Amino acid sequence: MEQKESEKSDEEIARLVQAGKTDLFGILIRRYEDKIMRYAKKFLFSHEEIEDIVQEVFIKAYVNIQSFDASRKFSSWLYRIAHNEFINAIKKKKREHLPFFNLDTLFPHPASNETAEKEANDRELQEMLDKCLSELDPKYREPLVLYYFEELNYKEISDVLRIPIATVGVRLKRGKQIMKLIYEQQFTQTIS
Amino acid sequence: MNNNLPKQLAEKVLSKLKTDKVKMKPKIHFILRTLLIVLGIVVLALFILYLISFVTFTLRASGLWFLPGFGFHGVRILFTSIPWLLVLTALFLIVILETLVERFSFAYRRPILYSTIAIVLIVVVSSFLINKTQFHPFLFRQAQEGRLPPIAGEFYRGFSAPKFQDVHRGVVSEITDDGFRVEMSDGEILEVIVSSETRFPFGTGIKESDTVIILGERDNGTVRASDVRKIDDNLNIPSKNYRPQPRNMIVPHRIPIVPGK
Repeated sequence: MEQKESEKSDEEIARLVQAGKTDLFGILIRRYEDKIMRYAKKFLFSHEEIEDIVQEVFIKAYVNIQSFDASRKFSSWLYRIAHNEFINAIKKKKREHLPFFNLDTLFPHPASNETAEKEANDRELQEMLDKCLSELDPKYREPLVLYYFEELNYKEISDVLRIPIATVGVRLKRGKQIMKLIYEQQFTQTIS
Repeated sequence: MNNNLPKQLAEKVLSKLKTDKVKMKPKIHFILRTLLIVLGIVVLALFILYLISFVTFTLRASGLWFLPGFGFHGVRILFTSIPWLLVLTALFLIVILETLVERFSFAYRRPILYSTIAIVLIVVVSSFLINKTQFHPFLFRQAQEGRLPPIAGEFYRGFSAPKFQDVHRGVVSEITDDGFRVEMSDGEILEVIVSSETRFPFGTGIKESDTVIILGERDNGTVRASDVRKIDDNLNIPSKNYRPQPRNMIVPHRIPIVPGK
């Protein structure tokens, strides 16, 4: 039975949980625990904090599962909860400056041709991101993590961060530029 | 990170979920919350619509709406006389409305500018349409006759047709030797003195029953007009002294006026 259920999609399982098969929520936890842990690590929490926060993410997801629209992607919905939990944790610690409003969400932007570059640069960018993450503004860090590590698409990132789809493209592009700059500076310093 | 930790975590979460402390919220909770947000959006939008159309009405009723026609002098008076409290309240409510709308994917997936422009356009066009109706004049009449509840009545009496020291709107009731008399919306009769200095940027043909805007310092019941403009804007607010007359009884008595500068 468990084997059969585990073959179902996230959305189908979420629908069954909504219908009362609450035990199946365990399958969703196991599918996403690694991903959410990794996502939390990119927010630069300490190891002790991560476990508590990730537990809280799954508990919130369970409590609010009836608000999930099964016609949409479960992963975006779960990452949205995780994003909110991480933001709240950061605010509590006042560790990073989180702006109330970002100007780049206001205006339309031309679509960025991210997919053409993606395959060639993925591995290199992931390496860079790992090394320069702490130097990056959270505004650029999160879309980069969601795109290159969690492999969410623009629309899904837009749903997680509640920002326009065009802004996702702009932040990815600017984030990469800034990251390359930081990487080059760090690399040059190491060599000299 | 060791590989065992996630598995421990899954078990911890599942055991917590089995306790009585963690309960799944019912679907009705989220349906009611969404309905409440939608209701909030509708109520807020209607209130903003009411405020903007009311501001437009007060500008027309006081004559301020027509001041840009008098040039820079008129624009300056307009900016110092606008009911800024109402305008800023409306803008603040638009910001709140925008944040409520941004909760929905059709809004947040697009630049904020789009939804803001859509909100402003809807509000401006709708308030323009409301001003084509008798909605505000009717409420103003009710307020004048004391038929509105105290707060609403005070609101209309206080804001609807404010009196200014240097801008006056009224209907020409009589042509006199040195100008004309106008009847204000509250029934007051104002003596307007026209001189060679008075400007008529839109022509001099003023006759009885014309609605006019007059610029000029008020001294008790007299105004020495610096600018006069006839307007074609019927608010249909009968004053206390208003007595309807058949149109053919109004004598088209033209004022002998020096042409405007």
